[in-house]
Amino acid sequence: MSARNRELLGLIPVAGLLIAGFAAVFVVRRDEVADASLVFGAYFFAICLAAHVFLRIRLPNADPYLFPLVALLAAIGLVMLYRIDESLARDQANWFVVGLGLFVLTIVFLRDYHVLERYRYLIVVAGLFLLLLPRVPGIGAPVNGAYLGVEIGPLAFQPAELGKLAIVIFLASYLREHREVLVVGARRVAGITFPPIKHLGPMLVVWGAAMLMLVFISDLGSSLMFFGAFLALIYTATNRISFVIIGLAMFLVGAWFFASTVDHVGDRIDIWLDPYQDASGTGYQVLQSMFAQADGGLFGTGIGESLLYAPGARETLGNTLIPEVQTDFIYALIVNELGLFGGCGVITIYALIAARGFKIASLARDGFSKLLAAGLTAVFALQAFVIIGGVIRVIPLTGVTLPLISYGGSSVIANMVLVALLLLISDRARRPDPEAAS
Amino acid sequence: MPAGRRAMDAEPAAVALKFAFLGVLYLFLLVIARSALKDLRGSRAVADDGTGMHAIAAGRVAATDAALVAVQGGGLDPGERIDLFGGVTIGRAEEADVRITDRFASGVHCRVHTRGNTYLVEDMDSTNGTYLNGAELRGEAPLADMDEIQIGDTVLRFELVLEGDTT
Repeated sequence: MSARNRELLGLIPVAGLLIAGFAAVFVVRRDEVADASLVFGAYFFAICLAAHVFLRIRLPNADPYLFPLVALLAAIGLVMLYRIDESLARDQANWFVVGLGLFVLTIVFLRDYHVLERYRYLIVVAGLFLLLLPRVPGIGAPVNGAYLGVEIGPLAFQPAELGKLAIVIFLASYLREHREVLVVGARRVAGITFPPIKHLGPMLVVWGAAMLMLVFISDLGSSLMFFGAFLALIYTATNRISFVIIGLAMFLVGAWFFASTVDHVGDRIDIWLDPYQDASGTGYQVLQSMFAQADGGLFGTGIGESLLYAPGARETLGNTLIPEVQTDFIYALIVNELGLFGGCGVITIYALIAARGFKIASLARDGFSKLLAAGLTAVFALQAFVIIGGVIRVIPLTGVTLPLISYGGSSVIANMVLVALLLLISDRARRPDPEAAS
Repeated sequence: MPAGRRAMDAEPAAVALKFAFLGVLYLFLLVIARSALKDLRGSRAVADDGTGMHAIAAGRVAATDAALVAVQGGGLDPGERIDLFGGVTIGRAEEADVRITDRFASGVHCRVHTRGNTYLVEDMDSTNGTYLNGAELRGEAPLADMDEIQIGDTVLRFELVLEGDTT
C-alpha cells in the first residue's frame, strides 16, 4: 500500500471520531445547539480531505501517519470546543482553513527548505522580535502576570507561537555548521565532557536568551520550551549527553535565581507546590482543574455531560467552572468528560507524533534536515508537555496552548506550518532515488 | 442538584457514543503504535547510514580513511597531511578546523564531510568560491581519490587511504 493510501485510511478514524463526538454533544445538548452546527464537523473533515489531496500531488512520499495524527488532535479539539460553545467550533474550523492555506503556501514556496539556512540571522532577529513583542506597551499586556499575547485593535495573537519556529530554524542551521567544532575541541574534566570554551559562546547566548525571556515575559513554561528544544538540538548535533546535563543544570540555577527575585515566577512555583495556600485566589485555576479531572474518573462523565458552569451562574465563557477552559485548561475538560483513558489517549497521540517526527529526523539525509526535524518535533512535544504538565501539576503551570487542540488562531497557524515543514523534510528523505533527492 | 445533567440521567445513546469515541481513538493509536514498533525493529541500519552524523561525535578515533594533502600555499607545508576524521571545516577564521593563511579565503570557506561512504566537499557561501579540479563548485560535490580542492591560492589534494596502505 502506498504512503498516501495509508494516510487516507488513517483519516477514516478521524471521521469516526468527529461523528461520534458531534453526535454525543448534539444528543446531550439538543435544546441548546442549532441543527446547522452539526455541519462544522463535516466542514473540518472536508478541510482534512483537501489537505490530503494536496499532499498526494505535492509530497507523495511524505510520512503517512503524521497528518492523520495531527487531524485526530484537531478533531478532538474541535469536538471539545463544540461542546463548550458551538460558535467556538465554527471559528476554530475557520482558523483551520487559514492554517491549511499557510500549510499549502509553505509546501509550495519552501519546496527547497534549505534556503532557510541562508536567511538564518534575519529569521532569528524576527523570532526574537516576535517573542519580545508582547512587552511593547500599548499592544501587549500581561495576562495573569505573563506577557504572551498581543492585541492590535481587534486582532489578538500570540507571537511566541510563530517565534518558536524561527528560533528552531536558526538553531538547526547554526548547529549544522558548528557542531564539528563543539565536539572536536571538547575537554574532559573530572569525568564530565565540557564543550570548548571558545565555542561555548552560543550556548551561553541561548541560555541568556532563555533567562531574559524568564524576566521579560515572566513565563517559566515558554522559556523551558525553548531551552529544552535547544538542548534536544545540541544532543542531536553532538551526541554528548554531558552537554545536556550541563545545560539543564545551568537552566535550573537560572530559574531558581529568578524564581526568588521575580515575583510572578516565584508565585507560580508557590502555587504549584501548594495550591491550597490561596484556594480562592491564585490557586483557584489549578485547583478547579484538578477537581474537574478527578471528577472524570476512569472513563469520564461523557461528552457534553460535565458541569461546565456552576448551577445558576451566567453561561458566558469567562464564567466557566474551569477557568480558560477553551485554551489553557482544555486538557482538564477532556479528562473530565473522557476520563483517564481519554487523557492518556491524547498524550499518546502527542507521543506518537513525536515518534514520527524523530523518525523523519533519523531518515533525513543531510544535517540541516535532521536537526530541523528533530528541533521542530522537540519544540512541539515540549509545548504539549509544558501545558499538560502544568494542568496535571507535574510542573508549575504556565499559559501556553495545547498544540492543535486549544482554541486560537496563532496556535493553529504556527502548528500547521510546523507540520508542513516536517512533511517537506519527510518527503525529501523518503524519496526512492537518493541521488535525485540530494 | 438543580437542572444539572449528571451521570444519573445520562442518556444511553450518549454513553454509547462516549465509548465509541474512546474505542475509535484507541484502535487508531494501536495501529499506528504497531507500525512504530515495526520501525524500531527494522530501520536501524537506515538510521545509522543516514549521514554518518554521529561518526565524528564518537571522537577522533573514527573514520581516518581519507586525508587532505597540502599541495601549495595557505601557510601549510607542501605534503602536510590532514586526516579527515569524518569531516573538517577549512577557512581563515580561528574556528575553522583547518586554518589557512590565504587572503582570498573566507572565515569558514568550505568543509569536507561524509554521507554514507562518500566524502563530499561543500562550499560554505564563500566570497571567492571553491574550485574542484579547476571548476567552480556550486553547493556540494562528491570527492574522488586525488581530487584537487582550490581555495584562493591554496591547493589541497584529497587522498583516500586504501586498505593495507601504511601512510
